Parts: sequence; C-alpha cells; structure tokens
Amino acid sequence: MMHQAQPGDAIVGPASLSASVVSKEFGAVVALNQVSLELRPGEIHGLIGPNGSGKTTLLNLLSGYYQPTSGAIQLRGEELAQASVRRRAQLGVARTFQKPRLLGTLSVLDNVVLGAWTHVEPGFLATALGLPQIARADRDLLDQATELLHGVGLSHAIERRANLLEHAEQRFLEIARGLAMRPGFILLDEPAGGLSNDEIDHLGGIIRTISDAGIGVLLVEHHTDFVFRVCDRVTTLDVGRMIRHGRPQDVRNDPEVIRVYLGA
Amino acid sequence: MNTKTRLLWIVPGAVAALSLPLWSNDQYQVHLAALICCYWVLIAGLNLVVGYTGQLSIGHVGLLSIGAYTFAILGGKWGWPAFASVAVAGALCGLCGLLLGLPSLRLPGFYFAMATMAFALIVGEFVLAQGGLTGGGVGLPVPGFPPPFDTPEGFYYLAVIAAVVASVLTWNVARQMYGRGLIAIRDNPVTAQAVGVPVFRAKLTTFVFSGVTAGIGGALFGSLQSYITPDTFHFELSLFFFVCIIIGGRGSILGPFLGVAVLTALPELVAPLAKLGNFFYGLLLLLVVLVVPEGIGRVFELIAQRLRPRSAVSVPVAPDLPRLARAIASIQALK
Repeated sequence: MMHQAQPGDAIVGPASLSASVVSKEFGAVVALNQVSLELRPGEIHGLIGPNGSGKTTLLNLLSGYYQPTSGAIQLRGEELAQASVRRRAQLGVARTFQKPRLLGTLSVLDNVVLGAWTHVEPGFLATALGLPQIARADRDLLDQATELLHGVGLSHAIERRANLLEHAEQRFLEIARGLAMRPGFILLDEPAGGLSNDEIDHLGGIIRTISDAGIGVLLVEHHTDFVFRVCDRVTTLDVGRMIRHGRPQDVRNDPEVIRVYLGA
Repeated sequence: MNTKTRLLWIVPGAVAALSLPLWSNDQYQVHLAALICCYWVLIAGLNLVVGYTGQLSIGHVGLLSIGAYTFAILGGKWGWPAFASVAVAGALCGLCGLLLGLPSLRLPGFYFAMATMAFALIVGEFVLAQGGLTGGGVGLPVPGFPPPFDTPEGFYYLAVIAAVVASVLTWNVARQMYGRGLIAIRDNPVTAQAVGVPVFRAKLTTFVFSGVTAGIGGALFGSLQSYITPDTFHFELSLFFFVCIIIGGRGSILGPFLGVAVLTALPELVAPLAKLGNFFYGLLLLLVVLVVPEGIGRVFELIAQRLRPRSAVSVPVAPDLPRLARAIASIQALK
C-alpha cells in the first residue's frame, strides 16, 4: 500500500531522526513493512497501534537494537541503519524500556550519572590513577544529575538504592537517566504503563518540558487518551504497516484507525 | 558508606597493619599478613572482573603462576634486578590477559568460566612440559628483594605497599564513572549499551588490568614462598580467589579484602579449622550464598543502615517542572 501525502507530512529535515521505508523481518515474519517515520527536534510524536503492530520493533530500529532488513535510518545526514547502539547514544539518541532497566544495587543518583558516560568517555588508566580532571568531571556530573532528579520529582530518593523504588519512581528515574545523556531525541517505550492517573499527568508535564527544551520525544504508548492529549503528531501502525499519521485529532477520527485499534 | 565512616575503618586498620611486625612476636603472623597482601594484589584486580563486571574468571591461578615463574626465571636464573623482573611479570601477565580475554570475553558467563579454567590447566601443563625453563616438577628457587626488603619484615612492608597501591587503583575505578559502567555491564548489559558504555572494550581493559595485578601478585607471592613448583599453583587456589570475592560481596572492595584476610588467616590461627581445610571454605561459601548472597560486605552496610533508620514512607513523585527545564537547559548547553 502506497502511503499518500497527509497533513503533517514534510520533507525530512536534516535535524530529524528518521526512518525511511524501513522493513524488519524475523525469519518469515514481517514485523515492519515499509514504514517511514520522522521525529523532529522539539516535537512529541506518538506511536500507537494494537499489540504486535511493530511499535517496539520500530523503536528498536531507531535505537539500534535491531538492524532493518531494508530501508534507511538517518540522523543529521548520518546513515544509522547499521550503527551500533553505542554510536547512537553518542549521537544523542536516548531511550527508556517497557520494563525499566535500572542498576538495582546502585543509588538512584548513580543510575542517572551513568547516562552521561559518552560525555566523559572515561579511560581506565586515567580513572585508576585518580587524575584530578576525571574526579572533577565526576563531581560536575553528580551535581547535574541531582538537579535532574529534583526536576522529575525524585528529591526524596536520590541516595536510595534503585531496587527500592516504586514503579512510578523507576519510570521517572529512567527518563532522568535518558536526559543525562544530553539527547537530541528520547524514545519512551510505554512510559505510562502501570502509572496512576496523577502520575500520568506528571509524566505529561515532564514530556512537555523535555520537548520545550528542543528534544524530540517519541512516545510509544497504549494509553491513547494520553497520547492524543500530549502529542503534536501521531503515527498509527497495524500488523507492521503504517495506516495513518498526522495531527492527533485527524488520527483519532480516522475510520481505519478506529476500526483496527480504537474501537467505536 | 561515607568518607567519615570509611576513615573510621581505614585509619585503625592502617595503624594495625603498619605496626604488625612491632607487636607481633611471631614470625609466622608476619608471613601470613604478607601472604594476605600478595593474594590481595591479585584479588583487587580480579575483583573488578568478577565483583564489578560480573565476568566469572576461575583461571587466575594461571596468571599468578606465570607471574611467579617469570619473576623466578628473570630475577633468579637470569640475574635481572628484582623490580625490573616484577615489572616484566606484570606486563607479561597483562599480555596473557589480553590474549585470553580477546576470544573468551564474548562468551556467555558459564563458557567464559570454562575458558579461564582451561587456561589455568594449560599453564600448569606448560610449566611441567618446559622443564628446561621452569624446572618442571622439581620447581625453581625464587629470589628475594634487595634491601631494605630482604628481611621478612622488609618484604612485609613491600607487600603492604603493593596491596595499598592495588587498592587505591581499584577504588578509583570503582567509585567513578568507569565503575558505574562496569556494574552496568554486570547487572544490565542492555542498559550499558543504551548509555553508550563500550561493553567489550571495558571488559577487556579490566581483564588486562587484572592480568597485570595477578602478575605482580604472583611475583611477590613466589618470592614469599622462596621456592615454587607446579603444585604451588593448584587449581583450588583459583577457586579460593573466586570464593573470597563471592563471600566478600560483589561490587565492594572492603568485602573481598575481609574475605581474603579471614579465609587466609582463620584456618591458620584457629587450629581445628585447619584440619577441616577445604571443608571450611565450602561450608562458609554455602552459608554466605544461602544466607547473605550479597556477601559479608553487604552485612556491614545493612547494619550501618539499621543504625541510622530512615523513614521509608512512600512519597508521591511530584516533578518540579521549572527546575527540570533549567536542569535540561543547563546540561544541553554543555553539548
């Protein structure tokens, strides 16, 4: 199915993170079939669809955990389809996980600071010898991470071991770690999963603050009310194909989207 | 543990360690303390591999053996200066670590452990086979160090210096960004990748470092033994190093140090335990794994936490969005 020009379409900008006509096959299973998505700086882009529609596959292609079978992934003109996860982290693509992946034995603060790894790229020898610039960089990063934690509402848990956190705290901690990466883009994989209504409101505030800072946010989510409320643009997938993308109100009222996903 | 409580441990410990030859009227105690230091030089490096990076090497006795034989051959047979021989022993074992780590560190945990075990067994056979160089089954005498390190007390102080240097190096790694990256590799490799930690390179670098410390530890250990044979480096010794770290606790430096000190000294000082031999280690390992799987280091942390109880009341998360905006803006400006 060719995809027709729709409102919200634009020529892929050079500053965007984009997937162009990407497909991903696992053996005989086609998880994604010629899907394109452009994530612009400073926008909140929702990615919705039924289970198994390929949302997380697309997120994994963008963040480098999978390589596409065909198609291109680009960021600032650099072709990323075969680039490693680490390379994308260096280029400022951050992500969170459906099930938060934290370091349980470390403090909340240390978990956030880890996000800044690529900005110090510490050498083993320089670290072991206790060179003062390494120690100074570490102190600065601790200060920055502390500020991020106050910002996302974890002031009370900064020194706590990460495995003692409650669910919402874990989710917000993962976002703080992603922000410590100083990303151009942050990909959130079902960040509202398991959150209460109040917590989802807080999440919405955090996401808007992130996008206001010029960071592009990809929001993979099942809470469609939440998605339509906070997103600037929404892309809908079904069985590996894009069925509609555009402004939230247009996607919400699209008969095909209603039929396969939203229901009457 | 904060700096103050740490000093509370370190200062009395240092005073006791440094004054040991003065108050101990037993030469054997000084020998034991020196032995603990030699082991610790190796274990400090191995701890970064096992305790921090989570790579289960059970073959470090092979590296210890190479270090000791290198020192014995260079310093004894060939008459090199002692400290140059130590340096070469460290460098050679670092190289061995590189050659062993390159193919094996990509293997999943169990297979990596098997590869390191195979390495240790190969080293043992190699030493036996190369009788012309290593003395074969008969062994080799190992030289001492020049004055002032030529007495048991002098050697003890040399071993303490080496142990302190090894501790400081690993402590610097463990508490800063590099150590966080290593723990990420251990606990959550997917996260490590996601934040950009070069997983394989960090594993390999740490493993090479553990090779260097094993080589230097081996040279000191050989010198302390004064005569080495292939039997000196039996495979149980490798398990002993591993067990010290597991009992001490992963992700801790004090824990494994206590582990090696207690496991080395206790069977020697308490005669009935010596009769139990490996049974004692086995029993202790079983107890720790069942009761405190995070090791004895964690027990101290838990006690410390009990002493200053903190309210664990659930606090609802309440983001401070203006502060978040400022925090993001200030770090984005650093890009």
